[in-house]
Amino acid sequence: MATGQGRSPAFLVRATLSPALLRIVIVGGGQVGASLARALSADHEVVVVDQDPHVEDVFQSIDVEFLLGSGTNEEVLARAGVAGCGFFVAATGLDEVNIVACALANRLGQPQTICLVSRAEFLDSAGAGGGLAAFGVNRVIWPEAQLAADIERIVTAPGAIDAEVFAGGVMRLLEYRLDEGSALTSGPVSTLHLPRGALIVAVKRAGRIFVPRGTTQLASGDKVIVMGTPEAMQAVEARVHPGRTGGRLQVTIIGGGDVGFQLAQRLEQIPSIDLRILERGAERGAVLAASLSRTLVLNGDGTDLEFLESENVGRSDVLVSVIDNDERNLLASLLGRQLGVPKVITRVGRPANLRLFERVGIDVAISARGAAVVSILHQITGGATSLLAVVEHGEARVFELTVKPTFVSRPLKQMGTGEDAIVAAILRGEQAIVPRGDELVHPGDHLLVFCTQEAADRVRGYFTREAS
Amino acid sequence: MRYSLVVHVCGVLVRYFSAMFLAPLAVAIYYGERSDALGFALAAAISAVLGHVMLRAGGTSAEEAVERLRRIEGLTVVSAVWLIIAHLAAIPYLWVGIGFIDALFESMSGLTTTGATILRDFTAYGHAVFLWRGLTHWLGGMGVIALFVAILPRLSIGGRELFFAESPGPSEDKVSPQIRRTAVLLWRLYAALTLIQVAALRLAGLSWFDAICHSMATLAAGGFSPHPQSLAGYQNPAAEWIIITFMFIAGANFALQYRALARRDARILLSDEELRAYTGIVIVSTALLVLALGLSRGLLPTIRTALFQTLSILTTTGFASEDFQLWSEQAKMVLLVLMFIGGCAGSAGGGPKVVRHLVLARYTLQSLRRTLHPRAVLPVKLGGRVVPDDILQVVIVFFLFYLLVFSICTGIVVAFGADIITGISGTIACLGNIGPGFNLVGPMANYADLHPVSRFTLTLAMWIGRLEVLTVLVVLRPEVWRSGRWSADAREGRAQGL
Repeated sequence: MATGQGRSPAFLVRATLSPALLRIVIVGGGQVGASLARALSADHEVVVVDQDPHVEDVFQSIDVEFLLGSGTNEEVLARAGVAGCGFFVAATGLDEVNIVACALANRLGQPQTICLVSRAEFLDSAGAGGGLAAFGVNRVIWPEAQLAADIERIVTAPGAIDAEVFAGGVMRLLEYRLDEGSALTSGPVSTLHLPRGALIVAVKRAGRIFVPRGTTQLASGDKVIVMGTPEAMQAVEARVHPGRTGGRLQVTIIGGGDVGFQLAQRLEQIPSIDLRILERGAERGAVLAASLSRTLVLNGDGTDLEFLESENVGRSDVLVSVIDNDERNLLASLLGRQLGVPKVITRVGRPANLRLFERVGIDVAISARGAAVVSILHQITGGATSLLAVVEHGEARVFELTVKPTFVSRPLKQMGTGEDAIVAAILRGEQAIVPRGDELVHPGDHLLVFCTQEAADRVRGYFTREAS
Repeated sequence: MRYSLVVHVCGVLVRYFSAMFLAPLAVAIYYGERSDALGFALAAAISAVLGHVMLRAGGTSAEEAVERLRRIEGLTVVSAVWLIIAHLAAIPYLWVGIGFIDALFESMSGLTTTGATILRDFTAYGHAVFLWRGLTHWLGGMGVIALFVAILPRLSIGGRELFFAESPGPSEDKVSPQIRRTAVLLWRLYAALTLIQVAALRLAGLSWFDAICHSMATLAAGGFSPHPQSLAGYQNPAAEWIIITFMFIAGANFALQYRALARRDARILLSDEELRAYTGIVIVSTALLVLALGLSRGLLPTIRTALFQTLSILTTTGFASEDFQLWSEQAKMVLLVLMFIGGCAGSAGGGPKVVRHLVLARYTLQSLRRTLHPRAVLPVKLGGRVVPDDILQVVIVFFLFYLLVFSICTGIVVAFGADIITGISGTIACLGNIGPGFNLVGPMANYADLHPVSRFTLTLAMWIGRLEVLTVLVVLRPEVWRSGRWSADAREGRAQGL
């Protein structure tokens, strides 16, 4: 799963501050709150506020303070120390509560406020929370919309099981699972003659992720991650999936909830996609049919094999299952796979299930809450680099970093980055260079670096930290 | 159903209708047509007296009556008023020596903006009669009752029921949340457009009198012309182009045009599906007619003639710039199909209306798709909005009854001696408020040669067609009458001095 993250000016400003111990108040101890608390507790003072006593159990095992009370109660927020906190995250399930909590937090102090919403009405047409600024909300996060956008990218990249764009579209990332007889398994990487401007940055084989060398032989069943310029990536797509360029794409969405609806709205904009959406509820189906123009809305259960067969779901090119229930999602996706859908994308509610889903044969398992958590973590732990994407459920990531001024220019091949990191692109002025080994790296260059999670700190240090 | 209320409200409306005779009265005096003047004066007097008697007989005070009007009573009032007014408007024709059935036919044809005539000899009648023909068109085009709702403050509340009973489109089309203001604004737009057309036709060389009569007939999508050969009698291309323009306007939704004008935004027009379909029909039919007619007249005159006749039939106006009875069968077929379409909802045009065809076509397509995907949710949409099921049903029922009334009337007309083409075209021309048909009732002929029973049947067809079938048919249901009482409450009646 990957999470796109646009660069915001706030990042670059904060990048100059040294990471310090922060007080972070989280209102709402649901899955987002718990994941955030777990990720932040090691380096920061975290206070979680929730009015449900049962939620407290979850936080027993995490090194955070839990306060029982309402997030819209000024006194509770004062006790949580909002006055002196650096970040305030409102992550309850109710949009209005989140907004009021942010407004209160702003009255009590000057934290950066992050507000989760689940409905479109709080966002302006550009998708930003413009109207909420008046309530003291600094940043709006809408997990469902983010998820729909992520799925759209994957659906529209033929054959790919993950897709990302970086630096305003000058670089793309695609992840493929190699089938038997794929053009990329014909020989070692150095003999594949990939188009200039494209680079295989990683291979995942048997649960291990590594950067391939020229001598690496790719095999069927491998997942490969390729980065490159859009033109080069088109050529790569043609190589990996010959014959699937052009033509109409049949997409079936199972589940007409928020994510399904938004995804349908997005995909309707693409004329070459034939879309249908399976929704169990008759009333919801009517709402969908009223608001969607080109989509065929079918009233039926996506986990009903007979129904799927009668509607010929097996003939779809892509099946997206976004029911709000992991078990039913898994069942619908496996049925789709059984019927012969080549690409299955499934929404996962509990982040813990992500890996399991992919292990049982679903091409892409993707989580809305995971996307939200990663997005909030970017905000809080920005640092000197900005994380652009998380690939393979956090096992690898793509950073953008600026090379320190004291860096001595040298070619890439002298750096010896090893098996766990690779410079995927050098952004110099308006240019995006997909480097070869003899490409020089200069101070002030922006680099797009792909690396495993473990290597992240080392890579960051190498290019950005001043020698002490 | 409370008869006292119905009679009372009808009385109010009829009494005001008497004022309408004053215009032809003035014209008759101006042209020195003494006898005709007397006829109009008499008609005015009878209307005023009849209205007053009904108003008194009904009892309750007008404000209360209109406020308490229920749906069915509103429908009854509208149906009845149209019938009564048609009789009153026939008085001047009776006065100049036309028989009763013919006088009623002519008067109903005028008010319902049909434009079918029984006049054989146009020279026998004075200016005032022709102005009256035009004026009945003009009043009927935007709606007599809409006019009263606009000018009578006391009709403002219950006027809602009356207004929509008179122009029952598939959707409520308003330009203001207030019904009275809606009526005022629409009538104002209508009157302004008429004045512009009068000026334009005058500039094109018509006399003031001809310009006024033709303008009232055009904007109302009527079709009466003071000239026995209709527009063909003038041989004036400029006037034809002007009438083409205003026929197109008259056949489009006035509420939509008002909104576009008020907001100075042409996109409102461009994005309207019905208007787009209407324009499409005009373009395609004109092209087909040009093909069927050939280019013996030269390209531009052929296009003008084809466009004129397409709009004249589609908008249900019924002018003729040429005797299309002489055209090829193919060309006549195009016109016959257009007769079954009609103008846009909320326009002056009659017929089943473009929007109903649009809804029905979409419904049919969705039903076909449903056989492929039995579980699909397939709403019928118009302008991006879902058409609710109840409206959909009303549209289907409308077509069924429209065809039923059409078949019955055709049967009667043919049974009484007309050929089938005359029967079919004459009936649809009256039911759709168009005017001329083919053969015996062609554009240069008249309806006077039909059997009296046929003429009477077609008079009723015009009435039913103008009120869009269901309004009249609902009122004719026996249960409406069985449950009827004179007054809501006898004691209440006494308290008010009955």
